[in-house]
Amino acid sequence: MATHFGTMIDRKLVAVSDKNRSGRTAREASYAICSLFVIAVCGYTFTDPFVVTLAGYTCAFALFALSINIILGGVGEVPLGQCLFFGLGAYGAAIGMGKLGLPFDVSVLIALVLSVVLAAIIGVITLRLTGAYFSIVSWGLTGVAMVAATNLDEITGGPLGLFGFPPIEIGPLQLSDPPTYFAVTATILLVAILFLVALRRSPFGAAMDSVRQNPHLARSVGVDVARVRLKAFMLSAPFAALAGALAVPYTQIVTPEVFSVANTVDGLLMVLLGGAQLVIGPVIGAAVFTLIPQAMNLDPNIRILLFSSVIILIMMFAPGGLHQVGVALRDRFGGKTDDDRSR
Amino acid sequence: MTIAVAERPAVSARDVVKRYGGVTALNGVSLDVQEGEIFGIIGPNGAGKSTLFDILCGITVPTSGSIRIMGSEIAGMPPHHIARSGVARTFQRTAVFAESTVLENLLFGRHASFHHGVLGRIFGSKTFVGDQQAFQARVEEVLKLIGLDGERHRKAGVLAYGVQRRLAVGIALMTDPKIMFLDEPAAGMNGRETADFIALIRAIAPGRTILIVEHDMSVIRQLCGRALVVVDGMPVVVDAPHQVLSHPEVVTAYLGADDDE
Repeated sequence: MATHFGTMIDRKLVAVSDKNRSGRTAREASYAICSLFVIAVCGYTFTDPFVVTLAGYTCAFALFALSINIILGGVGEVPLGQCLFFGLGAYGAAIGMGKLGLPFDVSVLIALVLSVVLAAIIGVITLRLTGAYFSIVSWGLTGVAMVAATNLDEITGGPLGLFGFPPIEIGPLQLSDPPTYFAVTATILLVAILFLVALRRSPFGAAMDSVRQNPHLARSVGVDVARVRLKAFMLSAPFAALAGALAVPYTQIVTPEVFSVANTVDGLLMVLLGGAQLVIGPVIGAAVFTLIPQAMNLDPNIRILLFSSVIILIMMFAPGGLHQVGVALRDRFGGKTDDDRSR
Repeated sequence: MTIAVAERPAVSARDVVKRYGGVTALNGVSLDVQEGEIFGIIGPNGAGKSTLFDILCGITVPTSGSIRIMGSEIAGMPPHHIARSGVARTFQRTAVFAESTVLENLLFGRHASFHHGVLGRIFGSKTFVGDQQAFQARVEEVLKLIGLDGERHRKAGVLAYGVQRRLAVGIALMTDPKIMFLDEPAAGMNGRETADFIALIRAIAPGRTILIVEHDMSVIRQLCGRALVVVDGMPVVVDAPHQVLSHPEVVTAYLGADDDE
């Protein structure tokens, strides 16, 4: 799948009398169907409910990593405050169910809408800043959210958070059932990936890439740089909020800790691990980040040490992430030429 | 200073003043560039020509004075609006999208002419097909013009400097500009690259108005019908390049600024 950012150019758009490439959309659809099949098989093959639930949670957190990468890989800012939207989604679902008695799906929809509105307001103010300034200010806002969540006992349950939810369901689907939970999160993740692939190939995707690489030049060819940045931010927010909400069936509790920057850093590590310039990079990162420590039964402290070292090595030797390592290995042993790779 | 005016100049400036704090970078510059002209702006380092250039294409807002492009005042217009009204520019540094291929660079340049959205892209709407055909036709034309037909899949960042400058002109051409601003296009080029570049500008000039800021006098002499000399933020003379270069004040300014000239 040509989901590579650096070569994200739309083959269909530029392919001149090249008939092999006209079937790309059909091919993407078939990938999607295959993946759905794989999801279904996985969901019902692995029987250990804990592993299946963890896989579902990984899919949810991968959505959060995708959200981070819309900003990092898309417009080139480091969104340290992205857990604000993750937390909004989690609290939205928890407050909707626990305090207002709304169904899970309705609560989530409300949280998604709120996240877009909040992103619009925050974005208008903070996106005037770039680089470290943007990162620090957005981080600061999550601090505000954490203080608010800790002190608004009536609504958020204070420092103890919210827990003890009624059975979480979307229509007939019981999210407390591990295989169903996994199937739902995996399907949502898949749809999100396909959407982002199409987005990257659309004029808006090209505009984001041009803004990331050279805002002055982008402006000179008619790109409204401020608007593209704001739209990207508003687009990233509901992805994070959805991730936060879908994490609730796994965590079964929502505390002010969701607004901790450690949450964003986990997502950022996944993005860097998998590769920021690849649409599915963050998903690869999420899988490696959560499943490997689980499989190896690592102590959390050792996990931090291990992943920090891996990130340093990756940044030094393969800034494109694990994807780059994979491509290099394939070229080495698979006999692929450089030219094939750019297709 | 004002020059003879035809009916509607492509670019026209009146009494442009720009101050940065206590420093006056430009002090009352007026000019008219006619449609179809290749117009040079020259001057010693720090004379204010780059400031003038940025003001003319709307990147910098002047302290006072007015700029009209194709007859409409551009004061207060955001740069991307100006770009969409048929004005393109190249940059001296960071002229291309370095991480992308030549083809992608040209695709980015076409941004303002794309009308399809994400859904149109997924479902292959009529708008998308129309955009696709228009882009393909234009991109082939531009690739031939800038001589990068065979390098379309190469990353812009690895191209030689002179080639990057040609790509920069190609990006600007993708917007179908009426007016092009070139910021020191030949800076750092070798003799052959400069000659190629002059040929390229001659090829794209018909039907366009081109403004060039340049240090290389041979480029100005070969391309421009007229040139404006700016010294210490003040316009000195506007005339044909060979006249301008022998103007006593210009000679003094250049001798004072640079021993080589």
